[in-house]
Amino acid sequence: MVRLFTPLFLNILSIVYLILVSQVPESRTGNPNGPIYFPMAIGIFMLLCSIVYFIQEWKHRKEEVAEFKKLMAGRTPFLIGSTIVLILIYSFLFERIGFLYSTILFLGGLLFTVNGKKHWLQNILIAVIFSFISWYSFAELLQVSLP
Amino acid sequence: MGVDFQNVIEGLLVSIQPINLLWVLIGGFLGTVVGMLPGLGPATAVAVLIPITFGMDPTSALILMAAIYYGAMYGGSRSSILLNTPGDGSAIAATFDGYPMSQKGQAGQALTLSAIASLIGGMFAIIGFILLAKPLATFALRFGPAEYFMLMIFTLSAIVSLSKGNMVKGFISMSVGLILSTVGIDLQTGVHRFTFDVPQLSEGIDFLVVIIGIYAVGEVLYNYLAIDSLKAEKKKVGNKWITKEQWKVSKWPMIRSGPLGFLIGVLPGAGGSIASMLSYTTERQLSKNPENFGKGAPEGLAAPESANNAASVGAFIPLLTMGIPGSGTTAVILGAVIMLGLRPGPLLFEDNPEMVWTLVNSMFIGNIMLVILNILLVGLLVRILDTPPKILYPLILVLAFIGTYTLSYSMVDFYILIIFGFIGLFMKLLKFPIAPLILAVIVGTDMEQNFRKSLVAHDNYLNIFFASSIATTLTILTILSVMYPFILGWIQKRRQKQA
Repeated sequence: MVRLFTPLFLNILSIVYLILVSQVPESRTGNPNGPIYFPMAIGIFMLLCSIVYFIQEWKHRKEEVAEFKKLMAGRTPFLIGSTIVLILIYSFLFERIGFLYSTILFLGGLLFTVNGKKHWLQNILIAVIFSFISWYSFAELLQVSLP
Repeated sequence: MGVDFQNVIEGLLVSIQPINLLWVLIGGFLGTVVGMLPGLGPATAVAVLIPITFGMDPTSALILMAAIYYGAMYGGSRSSILLNTPGDGSAIAATFDGYPMSQKGQAGQALTLSAIASLIGGMFAIIGFILLAKPLATFALRFGPAEYFMLMIFTLSAIVSLSKGNMVKGFISMSVGLILSTVGIDLQTGVHRFTFDVPQLSEGIDFLVVIIGIYAVGEVLYNYLAIDSLKAEKKKVGNKWITKEQWKVSKWPMIRSGPLGFLIGVLPGAGGSIASMLSYTTERQLSKNPENFGKGAPEGLAAPESANNAASVGAFIPLLTMGIPGSGTTAVILGAVIMLGLRPGPLLFEDNPEMVWTLVNSMFIGNIMLVILNILLVGLLVRILDTPPKILYPLILVLAFIGTYTLSYSMVDFYILIIFGFIGLFMKLLKFPIAPLILAVIVGTDMEQNFRKSLVAHDNYLNIFFASSIATTLTILTILSVMYPFILGWIQKRRQKQA
């Protein structure tokens, strides 16, 4: 039955979108329903496709979902989870402590997670050198404003 | 109509300015390097490297972006030949005979042959571009809102029907892209749609964040699945100069595949994957020794490489003359071009002819540079493949975040990037084609505007589909493109029955 999650989710998504479309305020200029036509057409089209997709998957509902098994195998959940946590920390620190330091921490954290603690010297060197080169290239050479 | 040679010459003079030559070299090299990385294709290369163009003048930025694009196409073949891991669909055919050549100790020769074939294909395509682009742009001036709307529908349906796998999934992917394009203030009436009182959503979801999220973050997350099994392989290149015999069997396949690839590249939705596959099967059928194909036949590598590169140049024609990208990668380029403040379309040829022709000439020069680069620096480029993926993927993630921040200096985009990274991951896991979503999110706003303008001009919405002979033709083509997989399936079944 896991197989039906995605088509079911897409069906719900289409319905929610169509409800949101019906709540779009009328326009005071031109055709009052002008902003609704196109989203309405897409919403209906997506709902129809999602229903067909549901029917297609229903026929195979008892088959296993190999894709999700892959996602849950080995180090993958740890890697993805750690990456998300590191991204959230990076987002929090980026404007607070500045680009250079936050990027060194972020990249260092990613490398320690993905590349392993065994290569600690390599990780530290890459994190520092790459962050500095990126900062120099963007902020100094390309004149892009970075915190 | 016709070719304006004065503009072509002026474009050549601008393209050989030292700074522009430098951008071609840098773009070609960076594109090759990123395109070579296993699992990463040209779309990712362009998406990750877009921020480099910030602050540049539009002509140089366009030159750099195009160089990254065809550099990545070259790079993609490198990983196909050496590692048997194509970066994207268009590099798959290079694995058929390129990898066996590599296994036979002819890696260097395979790389040189692929570079020469790409050059020949690219040259044919550039000549085709010079001859075809201006007439097509002039023709496109006859397009009104209804024709543009139908052209976008046709392109989207073609990209869905030609993307491998389930068509329903393709249409869902397209619908999600169109839904995303409706977020923000409606351009015609100023009505807020789906903004949920979040000020950052008023201007809509930046399609570049969607692109970087899906192509860069999504790809990296997806590659995590196999990261422990990916090992940097030390490859011996061997002799890099091709033999007379290899040249003899490959020259005609290269020459034949160039124009074929170019014409397929011009068609919306088709692109390098179909061009390279078609040229491969054509050459196998024409060959006196078809049994050698798949076992390291030089012509089996040369033909798809020539077609693939020709298609990548051909794809610039609908992009620049009509503002319609034909593939996921050219959609990414269109996104970046719009960000530079340019509006690709027939008027680009009227208003900025020097820019267009500078780009074309730079592609000509870039192709030559890339061959030299790829042959002379083959040892250095191969060494890049020795870099462990466990180091490369974190670097790509960092580049994705820097790029996203520099788009609008908003931290909200970081969160949107994570969301689209996950969407990209799940789309890959569940085998939803990505190109329809990317294309839809980019052309969605224009598509809606043209749809509504057409509604005003034609009292009944059905009239839009038959507003003119062009619109009618496009309607028929759309129906045919949707029917195409079914017709193909029916023909195959009939053949099987007969056999």
